[in-house]
Amino acid sequence: MSGSGQRLNVVPTVTVLGVVKARLVGATKGHQLLKKKSDALTMQFRQILKRIVQTKESMGDIMKSASFALTEAKYTAGDNIKHIVRENVQSATIKVKAKQENVAGVKLPKFEHFTEAGESKNDLTGLARGGQQIQLCRSAYVKAVELLVELASLQTSFLTLDEAIKTTNRRVNALENVVKPRLENTISYIKGELDELEREEFFRLKKIQGFKKREVERQRKKKFEEDQVAEIDWEKTHTKGFGSDLLVPEAQKDEDIIF
Amino acid sequence: MYGFEALTFNIHAGYLEAIVRGYRSGMLTAVDYNNLSQCETLDDIKLHLLATDYGHYLQNEPSPLHTTAIVEKCTQKLVDDYNHLLSQATEPLSKFLEYITYGYIIDNVVLIVTGALHERDVQELLEKCHPLGMFDGIATVAAAHSMSELYRLVLIDTPLAPYFSECITSEDLDDMNIEIMRNTLYKAYLEDFYRFCQKLGGATAEIMCDLLSFEADRRAVNITINSIGTELTRDDRRKLYSNFGLLYPYGHEELAVGEDFDQVRAVVEKYPPYQAIFAKLSYGESQMLDKAFYEEEVKRLTLSFEQQFHYAVFFAYVRLREQEIRNLMWISECVAQNQKSRVHDGIVLIF
Amino acid sequence: MANSSSWAHAFLYISPYTFSAIGIAISIGVSVLGASWGIYITGSSLIGAAIKAPRVTSKNLISVIFCEAVAIYGVIVAIILQTKLDVVPKQNMHLAESMRAGYALFASGIIVGFANLLCGICVGIIGSSCALSDAQNSTLFVKILVIEIFGSALGLFGVIVGIIMSSQATWPLVVAA
Repeated sequence: MSGSGQRLNVVPTVTVLGVVKARLVGATKGHQLLKKKSDALTMQFRQILKRIVQTKESMGDIMKSASFALTEAKYTAGDNIKHIVRENVQSATIKVKAKQENVAGVKLPKFEHFTEAGESKNDLTGLARGGQQIQLCRSAYVKAVELLVELASLQTSFLTLDEAIKTTNRRVNALENVVKPRLENTISYIKGELDELEREEFFRLKKIQGFKKREVERQRKKKFEEDQVAEIDWEKTHTKGFGSDLLVPEAQKDEDIIF
Repeated sequence: MYGFEALTFNIHAGYLEAIVRGYRSGMLTAVDYNNLSQCETLDDIKLHLLATDYGHYLQNEPSPLHTTAIVEKCTQKLVDDYNHLLSQATEPLSKFLEYITYGYIIDNVVLIVTGALHERDVQELLEKCHPLGMFDGIATVAAAHSMSELYRLVLIDTPLAPYFSECITSEDLDDMNIEIMRNTLYKAYLEDFYRFCQKLGGATAEIMCDLLSFEADRRAVNITINSIGTELTRDDRRKLYSNFGLLYPYGHEELAVGEDFDQVRAVVEKYPPYQAIFAKLSYGESQMLDKAFYEEEVKRLTLSFEQQFHYAVFFAYVRLREQEIRNLMWISECVAQNQKSRVHDGIVLIF
Repeated sequence: MANSSSWAHAFLYISPYTFSAIGIAISIGVSVLGASWGIYITGSSLIGAAIKAPRVTSKNLISVIFCEAVAIYGVIVAIILQTKLDVVPKQNMHLAESMRAGYALFASGIIVGFANLLCGICVGIIGSSCALSDAQNSTLFVKILVIEIFGSALGLFGVIVGIIMSSQATWPLVVAA
C-alpha cells in the first residue's frame, strides 16, 4: 500500500510521540463515529432506494391510468376539453412545500404537497358532457402529481444522501487507510528511532566507559611507571628486582575487573 | 305537406343529399374498426386509414405520428366535407347546415371569453378553436370586457345574437360562471334549432325533432348527473334544461330534484325509449352512461339515413363523423398508451 | 238544356275540337311534365351519387330512360289522338257523336297525361332512391329496378286505356238527311 510506507515528517521525540499517539486515538474515535454515521446513512439510503423503486413502479401504473383517464375525458367531453380546462385555471390547487430533514447530521430536502382550499372552480366543467370523466381524470392526475412530488422529494434526498454517503465513506476510508496507518507508521518510526537512540546512547556510554577505564589504566600505568622509575631510581639505590615482581600479577588481575 | 317533399326536395337538395350519402359510404365500418383495433402502432393505423377516405389527408403526415395529428387530420376532413356542402347549399338547407355549427360557435366563443378573462394570447386561443365554429371577427371576441360590450361589438353580427340576448343577466363577465353561460346558450340554441326544424316541416321536422329531443334529454340527464354535489342549485339546474324533448316538462321537474344517480335513473326509466339505455348499466354505475348514450345516438342517427328527402342526413353525417373521430382518437390513444385491452370499450360501431 | 243561359248550356256549346285539342295538349304536355319531373328527381340524385361512386352512372341511366319513356308515351298518344281529328260538317258539330268524340279525346288526353305525370314522378323518386342505394350497395340495383319497372308500367296502363278510349271516338262525317 502506498500509504504504508508513509509517515509524518516529525522529529522523533517523546513529546511528538505523545502528540501522535493522541492523534491516533482521535483518528480511531473519529473513524468509529464516521463509520457509524456512514452505516446510518447507508441504511437510510437503502430505505429511500426501496421507496423510490416502489414509487417508480406505481408511478408507471398511475401515470398510465391518468393519461388514460384523460383519453376517456377527451372521448366523452370532446377534444377541446383540454383547452377549456386549461383556460379556466387561475392558480395552482396543489402546491409544494420544501422542508428539511436531519438524518445523522445530513440535511435532506423534503417536498410536501398540500391542497389549497376553495378549488371548486372546475366543478362545472363539462356540465353537459363528460363532467364525471373530467372529475375522474382530475383526481387521477392529482394522484399522479402527488406521487410525482413524493418521487421528487425521494430523488433529491437520494442524491443528497448519495453525496453525503460518498463524503463520509471517503472520510472513513481516508482515516482507515491513510491517516491511521500513517500515524501508526509514525509511532512505530518514532519508537524505532527512540530505541535506536537508546541503543546508541548505551553503546556510547559503554564506549565512553571503556575509554575512561583505559584512560584510568593508562594514567595509573603511567603513574606506576613514574613510580617505578622513581622506585627504580629508588631501587637503584635500594633493592633491584622487587618492583617487577609486584607489577606483573597486578596487571593480569586488572583485566578481569571490567566485567 | 308531410310525405310529399319527395316531389320538390331534389330541386335544391337532391344533389347534396346524394353527396352526403356518398360521404356516408366512406365512413369506417365494423370491419375497418376490427382491423384498426388489431394495430400495434400508430403507423399501422395510418396504413389502414390510407385505404379509406382519410387516406388523402394522412398521406403526407411525417412518420412519427401522434394521436393529435390523426384527430386533427380527420377533423380537417369533416370540415372540408362540411364546407363543400355549405358552399353548394341553397336557402333552407344552407341555414340548416349553419345551424349545425352553432354549437361549435358557442364553444369557441366561450373558450375565447374564458381565455380573454385570464389574459391569454388571442392568437393562441384561436388555434385551439374548433374549425367548424369559426366565424368572421371571432378574434374580436377577446377584446370585449363586459357582457354587454361583447354582445354589442361582436355577437350582434353572428347568428348567436338572439341566444346571448336571452342569457345576459349579469353585466360583468367575471361574475357569471362560464359553464352556466355555455349551457344557457346551448339550451337557447337547441330550442331555436328545434323551432327551425319544425318550421321546415315534413320528414325533416319529424326526424330532426326526434334527434334534437334525444339530444336535449341527454343533456338534461348529463347536466343532472354532473351537477350532483356541486353548488349548482336546483332552480339553476332546471333553467339549463331545454324546453322540449321527451322528458319535458314532467321529467325535468323530477330531474331537477334528483340527488344521486339512482334517482336520475328512476326518473328516466319511466320513459320507454331510455329504459333500454339504462338497462345496460348496473345500479349505481354512471361511468358507462356516456357510451350508452353515444350508442343510442349513433343508432338514431344511422336510422335517419334510411329515409330519403330530408335534411336530417346532413346533421346525422356531421354527428357520425364526429363520433368516428372520437372512435379513432380512442383507438389511437389505446394503441399509443398500450392499453389494447380497453380498445373495445370506446368504439361505437357506426355501420 | 232547359235554360239557354245556364253554364251547362254554355258548356255544351263548347266545340268538341276544343276538347280534343286540350286533350292532346294535356296528353303530351303533362306527360312531358311528368317525365321531366322524374328526370330531375333521378338526375340530381344520380349526379350526386356518382361523385363518390362513378360506376352507378351508366347503370342508373336506365332510370332516366324509364322517365324518358313516359314522355314518349305522351308523344305517341298525342300523335294517335291527333290522327283521330277529322273535319266535321258544321251541322254535325254538336251531334252527340261528335260531342262524344271530343270528350273521348279529352278524357284520354287527361288519362294519359296524368297517368304519365304520376308515373314519371313515381319512376323518378324510385330512380333517385335506386341511384343512392346502388351507390351504397350495388346488389340493390336489380331489386329496385324491378320496383321501378312496376312503377313505369303504371304509365302504360294509362296509355292503353287512353288509346282504347280514343279508338272509340268517331266523327259524324256524313250530314244526316
